[in-house]
Amino acid sequence: MKYLLIIFLVLSFNSVFAQAYQTKTGKAIFLSKAPLNEFTGVSEQLQGLIDLEKNMVDFYLDLNTLKTGIGLRDRHMRDNYLETEKYPFAEFTGKLTSIPELKSGQTQAVAVNGRFKIHGVERDMEITGQLQRMTNGDLSLKANFDILLGDYEIPLPKLVFYELAEKQEVSIEAFLKPKKQ
Amino acid sequence: MKKLLLIILVTCSLPAFGQLERKLANENQPVDLIFHAPRHINLLTVEPLDPKSMHFAIMHTFGSVNGGIQNLFGLDNGANIQFSFEFALSNKLSLAASRSSRDKIYNLFGRYHLLQQTQNESMPFSLSLAGGAGVNTSAYDFLPEGSPSFSERSSFFGQIMIGRRFSPKFSAQLSPMMAYFVDPRAVYQIQGDQNLYLALGLSGKLKVTDRSSLTLQYIPNLNSDLRSNYGIGWDVEAGGHVFQMYFVTSQGLNEQYLLAGGNGVPGEEFRLGFNVNRIFALGQKKQKW
Repeated sequence: MKYLLIIFLVLSFNSVFAQAYQTKTGKAIFLSKAPLNEFTGVSEQLQGLIDLEKNMVDFYLDLNTLKTGIGLRDRHMRDNYLETEKYPFAEFTGKLTSIPELKSGQTQAVAVNGRFKIHGVERDMEITGQLQRMTNGDLSLKANFDILLGDYEIPLPKLVFYELAEKQEVSIEAFLKPKKQ
Repeated sequence: MKKLLLIILVTCSLPAFGQLERKLANENQPVDLIFHAPRHINLLTVEPLDPKSMHFAIMHTFGSVNGGIQNLFGLDNGANIQFSFEFALSNKLSLAASRSSRDKIYNLFGRYHLLQQTQNESMPFSLSLAGGAGVNTSAYDFLPEGSPSFSERSSFFGQIMIGRRFSPKFSAQLSPMMAYFVDPRAVYQIQGDQNLYLALGLSGKLKVTDRSSLTLQYIPNLNSDLRSNYGIGWDVEAGGHVFQMYFVTSQGLNEQYLLAGGNGVPGEEFRLGFNVNRIFALGQKKQKW
């Protein structure tokens, strides 16, 4: 029994040095390109976890932190479109299609298969991006993907089609540090 | 020993396997859009502005509808129009200037947001204050006693606004109000002859679709025999604008004239009115990435 404990302790100590990386200050941006109006919404509170050992990629964003630069537009976005009181988060959880072996300074294209959830609707999604091992050992991730509002039951009224695009272009950028247990 | 092992198992391995815990960035997230705009029919609301943004409102009331088709239900006569510019210095404080055509009143006022209702009910209502001063700039040279002085043309108002969103569909606001006229002359287009007017504004909003609401207003006078103000209307959000169409018994558009201006008989002397609200963000740099 004692041996088992020791083995387990050693194993769990290992997980302290496990390949898990985390951020609380990732950047998430969406771009809406409608015929008469182009605007972006930005948040710098994207929360993310990449665990290379267990192969898990988990990101979420508090949609209340998105800012478009016009307060009333933010309120309309939260109240009428994203319904953040009911569905405060956008979430993505998935697995890397292959685990990259990154040397310091190296960048590699990665693909993640997972589930994206926003406005209470969950869909399968494959997201491709660039993963880089920084010289200090941290990870940097950049990725782009598109979201169609209709896919997530976010209604786009005819009256505002010229101000709000059906296709929202999302970019994320995050620097992830080794996770402390 | 087994227990210890179990504890270690639970504490060490579970968080490592799990996803990140979903946490709100701000537990006390304020409630959005208790009302559609900083105006609601005639009254100011608890709806704040963001720093460096400007709220521009064009407000309009026509003649009373009981003239019938002959006067196109009041549209032919007696329009009162007010332009109002409100500029937010911070999340809490905004300063505004307005000008209404009736008696050519210029008003300067401010709004201060003391409390904001939060989604988790840690604060159950929003509370804002407003106050201002106005001057009547009509020409009164024809009067035998001569034109009134600047101070005789002045009037003041103050109000407290207590608003709450009771459900995503229904919001209400209680606004104790006062108005003070230094010299309420008969020649001014007000019905009252008192200096001080006290009233209680009641506003209601019932959301009918995602972007439009039925709006209600009732402002009983507390210390005068003047008729009370009744209003019923429809608010529509349309891509950055908020349009407000309503029937109301008062032709006054600024706070002092709302209380002292008098009201028509409800049902008979309703007037058609509308407000166009637009919020501009000033001094914003285009974000690049």
